[in-house]
Amino acid sequence: MLSSSKSYAYEMLLSELTWAVGEDYVQTGDSDKLGHSIDYYWVPEVWHDRGRQLTPPDFIIQPGSSQEVAAVLKIANNYSIPVTPWGGGSGSQGGALPIRGGIILDMKRMNRVLDIDTVSLSATVEVGINAQHLEWAIEKAGYSTMHFPASIACATLGGFIAHRGTGVLSTKYGKMEDMVMSLEVVTPQGEIINTLPVPRHASGPDLTQLFLGSEGTLGVVTKATIKIHPIPQSRKFHAFLFRTMHDAMLAGSRIMTSRLRPCVIRLYDEPETAKLVKRVLGIDKKGAYLVFGFDGQEKIVDLEMEEACDICSSFDHEDLGAEMGQTWWNNRYKFFYPPYMFHMPQAFGTLDTVATFANIENVYWAMKNVVEQNFPQATFIGHFSHWYEWGCMLYARFIIDNPPADANEAVALYNKIWDMAIRAAIKAGGVINEHHGVGLKLGRIMKDLYGPAFKILQDIKQTLDPNNIMNPGKMGFKG
Amino acid sequence: MNINKYLDVINACRFCFMCRHLSAVGNVTFKEADTPRGRALILDKVRMDNSLIANADYIKTIYDADLSAACRRHCVSHYDENSLLLAARQDIVAAGLAPPSVAALARDLQNVDFQVRGAGEILYYIDTYSQRQMQLVEAFDGIAGNVATISGGDTGKALKILGFVNEAREVAAKFAAAVSTSGARTLVTSCPASYDALKHDFPIDGVTVLHSSEFLLQRGLKAKAATTACYLDSDFLKAYNNMAAPRELLLALGYKLKQFATNDEESFSAGEGAAVYDRVNPKLTAKLCERICDLVDVERDLLITSSPYTLHVLKTFRPQLNIISIEQAACRALEA
Ligand SMILES: Cc1cc2nc3c(=O)[nH]c(=O)nc-3n(C[C@H](O)[C@H](O)[C@H](O)COP(=O)(O)OP(=O)(O)OC[C@H]3O[C@@H](n4cnc5c(N)ncnc54)[C@H](O)[C@@H]3O)c2cc1C
Ligand code: SF4
Repeated sequence: MLSSSKSYAYEMLLSELTWAVGEDYVQTGDSDKLGHSIDYYWVPEVWHDRGRQLTPPDFIIQPGSSQEVAAVLKIANNYSIPVTPWGGGSGSQGGALPIRGGIILDMKRMNRVLDIDTVSLSATVEVGINAQHLEWAIEKAGYSTMHFPASIACATLGGFIAHRGTGVLSTKYGKMEDMVMSLEVVTPQGEIINTLPVPRHASGPDLTQLFLGSEGTLGVVTKATIKIHPIPQSRKFHAFLFRTMHDAMLAGSRIMTSRLRPCVIRLYDEPETAKLVKRVLGIDKKGAYLVFGFDGQEKIVDLEMEEACDICSSFDHEDLGAEMGQTWWNNRYKFFYPPYMFHMPQAFGTLDTVATFANIENVYWAMKNVVEQNFPQATFIGHFSHWYEWGCMLYARFIIDNPPADANEAVALYNKIWDMAIRAAIKAGGVINEHHGVGLKLGRIMKDLYGPAFKILQDIKQTLDPNNIMNPGKMGFKG
Repeated sequence: MNINKYLDVINACRFCFMCRHLSAVGNVTFKEADTPRGRALILDKVRMDNSLIANADYIKTIYDADLSAACRRHCVSHYDENSLLLAARQDIVAAGLAPPSVAALARDLQNVDFQVRGAGEILYYIDTYSQRQMQLVEAFDGIAGNVATISGGDTGKALKILGFVNEAREVAAKFAAAVSTSGARTLVTSCPASYDALKHDFPIDGVTVLHSSEFLLQRGLKAKAATTACYLDSDFLKAYNNMAAPRELLLALGYKLKQFATNDEESFSAGEGAAVYDRVNPKLTAKLCERICDLVDVERDLLITSSPYTLHVLKTFRPQLNIISIEQAACRALEA
């Protein structure tokens, strides 16, 4: 934070920033500062809830072009002012929080669809665009991004790029790193660069992938070319109930290892089936609920669906049919709206972990045991969300209905659960994580996760951002 | 404080991002504050420390809201952020903290003189925006056939929306008295805000209220307009009253309706939900109009609106815009 908003230096900086982007696009008011002090991370939420002072930015800058982004970064470098990019603020890891004050670079004004290439099926867009607005624009042109995360309405494309985000249809259409073809990035020193225009090449290491997942620590992503897809002729779903989660996991992994191409598979453990599937979908059953879908040419969809159903039928199961699968699809975002989503005063965290099929159940049990044995006040539930040829993601959650009233105590308890659960997951072969990112929340885990390889990431950061202005203190990089 | 009646909304919205894409004003200012989450966070702070109601920046944000209710309509639990904002405005006014421009506008809105002209079962209310666009009134008149009219000010809705609830009630009572003297049993209005006011806020005993599109639809009008048009929905008709009549009327008249922009969830009314948004926030109204104009082929697309407010602000912002009222659309179709 700057020494004082009344200082001469503050006024000079304000004038310089205003000159760079125009006075309508520099915000310093209390309303805006409040909105940018809290993202979707539980810790600032509880801080606010308990009436604690939050850390606001000094300036909120809304650039309208890559050149304006570059101008702001040059100013920030000159005076060593921290810059934190902000998309929709929907990240759950505190990645967009201005923990050192300084500048919030709110990217939402850069929201234009620049080109739709109907020959190669790609679109070039400014990444401040809201993901739902992007999908609507692409649909209007007759295509789809096929990126349907639960936060489609809240987050920007840039946020998803920064966090390697994942949508519901990831099993067929991939994660953000599979969707992006190339990027325009403004480096921390204010240079505008482009990565190579195609995602498959043998021209050295892939710079596009370097910036994907860099969470605003290596520069500001300003434009992206992403793949787009034809609207499928057919999309169908089917649901099964298994007596045990283990059987359901075997069925799901067999669907994947048989190389069928579902667009989605989702498996809820018994407690989440009993709790959330019942509450949100009204499916009141005991066991583990598994839903999957296929899309594309109807003939192929039907054939693949039949094969997948055959695989499931070889286990101890109840066939819930197509309708209960469709119900899930129709209500897939409902889980995230109040009051269905967990909320204050509850303490809750998503222990997102990804692992191979060989390890994923061990990861589940390792985390569940650690949470339930050490924190009897916590409930542990989980579902397996994003399935790939080799493994899947575990969307596990802990929930404490009545955490301590004192904010520091509540946060200490919260962090302790994370520390123990995550370390148990890593020991069992899990990687933290699949799509939520690292941010402030998990920075302290990065050294454990990467081992000596973390030094390479630190060196890249140091080289690109020698003055450490870009999102300092995040991802385990120095503050 | 009035906001305390909406603690459920504050608690739900303060950490929720799920409808931010539909915040019309947020989509032109790109500010976190101009979303249901941003405003609920502010009002949560005010709830914790009542003195913060005097924060000028917070007050500005509360009056910048466009109140389209698109968010409430989208929300799976339909949390009523609109009513929370109206309660906040009421608290601001009660504390004597209304911004000077809002207070001046409120004084102006109390200056009413309702006059009934003609007599009959049906009374057509000419609201303040229609009054400035008499072509709309003439179109209605042309189809309805010389019905009695009432005019002379806003029904009280605008005052209520600005937070002046007592003053709003007084004006509404004057309006009701004037309507009663006319002896009419059906009150028709082209103005969606007035429709909503008379339907829900200030109903008049024994008087049925219809939007002009409902009235014309009931007449069983049929035509073969064969023109393609985009219908610009009204916040009050769509998000507040879930009314299908305008579209049904246009289809009955033979119009081929084309989706405006990319979706039918967003509000493209340029602030109609806030009733007098153009007078409270001319700069933001211009931004909302600009966004609509950016989405339209100004030369080619025919836009039809059921809101005299929207017609007025868009025509003022971009005179060459090919936009007409639903009454004019009906007239054109019947003449064709
Ligand atoms: C209800 C809900 C459901 C969710 N479901 C999903 C889901 O299904 N899948 C999923 O992947 N995520 C999900 N998330 C998490 C969140 O939406 C994602 O992490 C998303 O990527 C955040 O995007 P944002 O635009 O909100 O970014 P922010 O939260 O604003 O920022 C996130 C990080 O990205 C950086 N950043 C933002 N823009 C840029 C840029 N242009 N250049 C460089 N760095 C930038 C920020 O500095 C920060 O470090 C969910 C969140 C919520 C609230
Ligand atoms: S209205 Fe509903 S969707 Fe919107 S912020 Fe509030 S709770 Fe969330």
